[in-house]
Amino acid sequence: MFVDSTGRRARLLRRIGLLLGAVCVGYTAVLGLAFMGVGISVNPSSLLPFGAGGGGGPEGGPGPGGGTRPQGGVAPTGAPPSPGPSLSPGAVTGTAGSAAPTAALTDRPDAPAS
Amino acid sequence: MTTPTPPPAPPARGRRRAPSRMERAAGRAAALQRPRVLLALLLLLALTCVMLLDGYLRAEVGGDERVRTGASAGDVPDDVLDGGPILTFPGGRATTVSVPDKTIVLTFDDGPDPTWTPQVLKILDTYDVPGTFFLVGSMVSRHPDIVRNMVEQGNEVGVHTFTHVDLSYQSTARVTREIEQTQLALAGAAGITTTLFRAPYSSETDAIDDYSWPVYESLGADGYTSVFVDTDSDDWKRPGVSKIVEWATPEDGEGASVLFHDAGGERSQTIEALPKYIEKMKAKGYTFTTVSGAMAEQQSPQPQQSPQPQESQQSQPAQQSGGGLQAAHHRATGATLYEGKALIAAVAVAEWTVPALSAGLVVVGVAVMGRFAMMLVLARRHHRKRNRRRFGWGPPVTGPVSVIVPAYNEKECIEATLRSLARGTHPVEIIVVDDGSTDGTAEIAESLGLPGVRVVRQANAGKPAALNNGVRHARYDIVVMMDGDTVFEPDTVRHLVQPFADPSVGAVAGNAKVGNRRTLIGAWQHIEYVMGFNLDRRMYDLLRCMPTIPGAIGAFRREAVLQVGGMSDDTLAEDTDLTIALHRAGWRVVYEEHARAWTEAPGSLGQLWSQRYRWSYGTMQALWKHRRSLADKGPSGRFGRVGMPLVVLFQVVTPLFAPLIDVFTVYSMLFVDFRAALLAWLAVLGVQVVCAAYAFRLDREKYRYLLMMPLQQLAYRQMMYLVLIHSCVTALTGGRLRWQKLKRTGEVGTPAGSG
Repeated sequence: MFVDSTGRRARLLRRIGLLLGAVCVGYTAVLGLAFMGVGISVNPSSLLPFGAGGGGGPEGGPGPGGGTRPQGGVAPTGAPPSPGPSLSPGAVTGTAGSAAPTAALTDRPDAPAS
Repeated sequence: MTTPTPPPAPPARGRRRAPSRMERAAGRAAALQRPRVLLALLLLLALTCVMLLDGYLRAEVGGDERVRTGASAGDVPDDVLDGGPILTFPGGRATTVSVPDKTIVLTFDDGPDPTWTPQVLKILDTYDVPGTFFLVGSMVSRHPDIVRNMVEQGNEVGVHTFTHVDLSYQSTARVTREIEQTQLALAGAAGITTTLFRAPYSSETDAIDDYSWPVYESLGADGYTSVFVDTDSDDWKRPGVSKIVEWATPEDGEGASVLFHDAGGERSQTIEALPKYIEKMKAKGYTFTTVSGAMAEQQSPQPQQSPQPQESQQSQPAQQSGGGLQAAHHRATGATLYEGKALIAAVAVAEWTVPALSAGLVVVGVAVMGRFAMMLVLARRHHRKRNRRRFGWGPPVTGPVSVIVPAYNEKECIEATLRSLARGTHPVEIIVVDDGSTDGTAEIAESLGLPGVRVVRQANAGKPAALNNGVRHARYDIVVMMDGDTVFEPDTVRHLVQPFADPSVGAVAGNAKVGNRRTLIGAWQHIEYVMGFNLDRRMYDLLRCMPTIPGAIGAFRREAVLQVGGMSDDTLAEDTDLTIALHRAGWRVVYEEHARAWTEAPGSLGQLWSQRYRWSYGTMQALWKHRRSLADKGPSGRFGRVGMPLVVLFQVVTPLFAPLIDVFTVYSMLFVDFRAALLAWLAVLGVQVVCAAYAFRLDREKYRYLLMMPLQQLAYRQMMYLVLIHSCVTALTGGRLRWQKLKRTGEVGTPAGSG
């Protein structure tokens, strides 16, 4: 019973074991890296082109909000997920009803450009 | 993993001489490098990671529920304490921004929550207003789809730490980790990172204290915008819808950063209040925006007041009204994105694995407890039934029987074995089948000059062949089979053969007892034997599906053995194989508790390992060999459908789950609730002790060995399941496993002397 003299089953199982072991190692490694934050850059100052501390900019260039107006055209801030504009302009049209309608129209050509 | 596994035959097991200490150490080192050991360790590592991750997400691991209150605020600048709810550090200088008049920044904390957040999103979508969600990273990683929708819908998101801890108590490294992990989760869920941050347990800027201030400062230096509240709906207190709306309404048309919660508890009042609130504020002429929207408006109010020069501003306001509401978002790229996606995947794996394992454990736990209950009930019934004064199998069996003693190098024990048989009260012929011993076992047997002893010599061919040889030489219709290292009591054979008065009985299992129980390992096996014989076998007897007649003591109808073709060497557990074959042939197999045999249990862990390895492997072989009984009709099908599932469930499946029980127990003790876990463990132990005590009572054994049971749970049990896993793997790989003879000391001599 059970004996496989060809060794084919053992080879197959060894491969499965190898794969399983690799998956385990990979899983552990991913978790370790993610937990310790190795190799990632998420600090806003390291993302923004105007450098740490936000030295530049007419309005003093605070991270997000101030960055939009003067540095609005710059890649990082100009690249929110594309579905975003399709919804939020509506929000503004509904409430303010001032500059927004045109903005919603002009937003379309702008989004693919950035 | 790359080291080639040895060819099908496992490493030599026969011990030629005692290895030196160096050799043994080298052997252990080599054993650790063996692929299956390495794989087992890796699996354990991954499982540990899965469980730790799951615990971390549920704040069982590394959770910290401390919240600081009442600290002084001497170090915090006054204009921050009195300032607006949006705190940034442009150029390293603390600056606060207020929300413009007639503007509401809706902020939602602690999400995403699978129940409430989608409802909030639906409301916001219906009223076409954006919100700003401060997300807890662990929840983001568990519910990435909600976050993706949230961002796609045009809402802004901020970091609310990964595990919702009070950062003022945490080290700088932990603060960094909390933020980075949340950003990773956001990157994995929605492909973005954010520059907005809100500290857990924070509220208005005037509640900043000397301990939390450094956190905001350092995060501000990193470019984060800390967002506070100036109008708190206090919806988490569940004060009623009207109160929530009232408290969330700022005075005199001022702008406000309003706090709601979309997670962290029952939020139906929030869900109810939100539409009313939005309608009320819209009616008052308010507009809704995000944090970035409010900042942009404050810093460049011109476009709002003078929308006339439309043509010239075509592209810039587009940024502000569309992307401007999500200006805090940045597209995640490269390592951050992939690591984030990997984190989400890892969390998904953990989210599936842990509940699945828990469910499996519950099933196994219920099965094990059910088995204990069934054993207690059936053992009691069996005991009462067989010991009733009027009970009898039929007319007493008094005719002579043949006792077959297969012997291979049993010089230490054979004399005691044969002398115990010669003292018996039942007429027997004793056939010693010498299986090519090299230590003079046959000569010893012959030299004793005991009446009725015949020695049959054969070339070494294994135990099954020796037993078959003995059956061929047997003169009588009933054959008793025993091991060469086993000692019978004087009336053992008489008791053992009485059930044959019932013509349907084809085989009888005796009651094997551990003789050498003075050592720890002997005591453990003693407990195991007493439970196995007094609970398991009684149960199987009544259910008519006993899987094994022990090789140490069993009696068979010669006719039945010949009918099923005798012992086969198909499996390493020829006793189990034969017993199952007898069941399938329609013979009844019973347990006779009064027929006691004293056997010598393995005295070292290594010997115990190889014995049990052979047993579990052999049992699996036998079950596999008889797998077709599952679909058979008649007695064979009965065994296949009753006996096989029971044996598979309790001798293969539940032991395979046993390591998980240990892992979960250790995990619960370390991270969840030490006392509760310990109590649960003690409760399970208690059940086992009760069962064992009952088994001891049925067999009139001394209870003091039960003291070894707690220790048995900590070492012996683990060894048993490791053996089982080992033999399962061997069975799967198709490796060859050979019979290995146990080393005997011959210390089991006088039945009355031990115990």
